[in-house]
Amino acid sequence: MAALTYDIAVIGAGPAGSMAALHAARLNRRVCLFDRNARVGVPVRCGEGIGFRSFIAHAGNRLEWTKNKISRSVMVSPSGIRVTIGNIDESYILDREKMDGDLVREAAHAGADLFLSTPVTEVRRTGDGSYECRSPDRTFCASIVIVADGVESRIARFLGWNTALSLSDVETCAFCRVTFPLIDQETCVFYVGSTVAPGGYAWIFPRGKGEANVGLGINGTKSSAGRAKECLLKFLDKELPGASVENLHCGGVPVARWVRPLVRDGALLVGDAARQVNNISGAGIHYSLFAGKLAGLTAAQAMGSNGSVDYRLLARYENEWKKTYGKQQDRSYALKEFVMKTDDAFLDRIAASLAKEPPERMNYPRVFTRTFSRHPLLLLKAARLFG
Amino acid sequence: MTVKLNNDKCDRCGTCIGVCPTNALLLLTASLVIDSDRCNTCERCVVICPFGALSLADDSSASTNMT
Repeated sequence: MAALTYDIAVIGAGPAGSMAALHAARLNRRVCLFDRNARVGVPVRCGEGIGFRSFIAHAGNRLEWTKNKISRSVMVSPSGIRVTIGNIDESYILDREKMDGDLVREAAHAGADLFLSTPVTEVRRTGDGSYECRSPDRTFCASIVIVADGVESRIARFLGWNTALSLSDVETCAFCRVTFPLIDQETCVFYVGSTVAPGGYAWIFPRGKGEANVGLGINGTKSSAGRAKECLLKFLDKELPGASVENLHCGGVPVARWVRPLVRDGALLVGDAARQVNNISGAGIHYSLFAGKLAGLTAAQAMGSNGSVDYRLLARYENEWKKTYGKQQDRSYALKEFVMKTDDAFLDRIAASLAKEPPERMNYPRVFTRTFSRHPLLLLKAARLFG
Repeated sequence: MTVKLNNDKCDRCGTCIGVCPTNALLLLTASLVIDSDRCNTCERCVVICPFGALSLADDSSASTNMT
């Protein structure tokens, strides 16, 4: 069978890939979008939390993708000290199944050819500079390839990148949907400590109507075969005894520096595949929406009408990412490196001092400044990390 | 030694692929495939699997592809 030929091939139809395909297709480029699964957005491998401002900025006014409004968060220390942060930025729990499905449909509606149940097994650059994407049944050709294959980031390795994560740079997660009438529907709860979630945290994110996303991530260096699931089952037993548990799934969250370079010849990395994730929270949807759109627009602009590619223009994708979120993401990595060195006693001490603060005056920046002002040595160490 | 997959436990999340230094793992539509020619049995995939679907087995006669 002759290879199908496109301007831009997008591998992976999560939020980053779909946004890229959607925006490139809107500029009338010939775009194909691949996903291994028959249906995107399921199972949801995500806590689904997002800050409202970045959601609106990158997704647009898509309130139909929000599920539940969050008005405060609570941090629970290893010994059980609860710190309420009452003054958080407006946040929501998303409906990822709906959002991911809608984004793919919109990309197709804009003109992208959608190939579901199509795993791309290999990509190679041919003599004329175009890319050959192979799936078990078919070969596709494209001038530009946007790689959005998530935590795996396997495709990039055929194109000169080494994206294999060290164990310290990945959180291994298990999560589920829980129905439990006693869950406070306006509060996100985070649990830290070496017993609950070594090198990570456990979360309860309410979706409304007694439902919640419950999960945890543990750092790869603390993981052993099946440990994430064991920790989750223990956590459910202790914190939500008798809850009805559905959709028990797992996944990995990269907690690494964003991949450099983001662009190599005509190939662009986006989303989890590019390790565009906040290393402290594990949040990545906002980065993916932003980077996906930016990569799609840049690729479309770099694509000449005669099939030629302006490779220098493609580099703008990396520059824009760097200016907007790159430094913030780098700081989150430095902070993660620091947090990994702390122990339960330290977390309890911080929690004890923060618990004395009035909840309504507590916000995230305050947690950081209070932590550092009460621990001058820490501030010095942090300054070194950020310097 | 070879890495073996317990397909009943595997959730097809791809975390193992993210840490594989030799690109020996591949997810197809239905299942994870292990390329034992590429695998150097470093065990990162075994350790990282959230559901414990992978294990290292002392079985030199195991078939190359587990599907």
